[in-house]
Amino acid sequence: MTLYHFIGLGIMLFAVGAAGFFIRNNTIVLLICVEIMLNAVNLIFASFARYLHGTEGQIFIFMVMTVAAAEAAIGLAIIITLYRQVKTLDMSKITLLKG
Amino acid sequence: MSLLAAMFVLAGLYLLMQAYLVALFQIIIYIGAILVLFIFVCMLLNVKKMSLNPMPTRINLVIGIIALLITAAMSWLSWQIFRGSNFMRQEISLQPETGIKEVAIDLFTRHLLIFELTSVLLFVAAVGAIYMSRKKREDVS
Repeated sequence: MTLYHFIGLGIMLFAVGAAGFFIRNNTIVLLICVEIMLNAVNLIFASFARYLHGTEGQIFIFMVMTVAAAEAAIGLAIIITLYRQVKTLDMSKITLLKG
Repeated sequence: MSLLAAMFVLAGLYLLMQAYLVALFQIIIYIGAILVLFIFVCMLLNVKKMSLNPMPTRINLVIGIIALLITAAMSWLSWQIFRGSNFMRQEISLQPETGIKEVAIDLFTRHLLIFELTSVLLFVAAVGAIYMSRKKREDVS
């Protein structure tokens, strides 16, 4: 269980979150993919904090988790308001800003 | 459901690398607050059938593949940077550990400013979320 395994898992989680963010059509699934990406970044921070004998990595994880919580709350409020307007969760049908 | 399992597994991984405070934060904040918020929103919107997934359009698939390629490029670049380093070869259980006490001391002495600023950020986020999700009345213009 060297550092390579943790970094590899973090990179794969990030790739899954990034690819899923662009491919999926559901608005709630988009927010879930953002949470997946943030979790992957947290894992990489924690593994580097473990290997460089410092505590700054774990403290920055605390900040990233706080920002993720705030952003999830605001994102879900946006989704609720959007659902009240257009009555659907399908992102391909929400084309109000399309040029 | 799979996101719940993934977050529990990540908490287990944090315990494995002896970051006990991070594992506790993961369970309390991510699983106990954010995922519960997701479940509340799913119950509030009352979405009966979540099978609103047609085949993704072609531009979406292309951008998804581009995202995977960018992630592969970033991982290759980090591999090139850290390849000859010495600290990568050692086993994870042989490093000296930093416990909860050192993290707490560091958080409240060196990184106090960002700690207070995150409390301000949470306050702003809570006010914004409450304001945005209220039902509009007719006399509010």
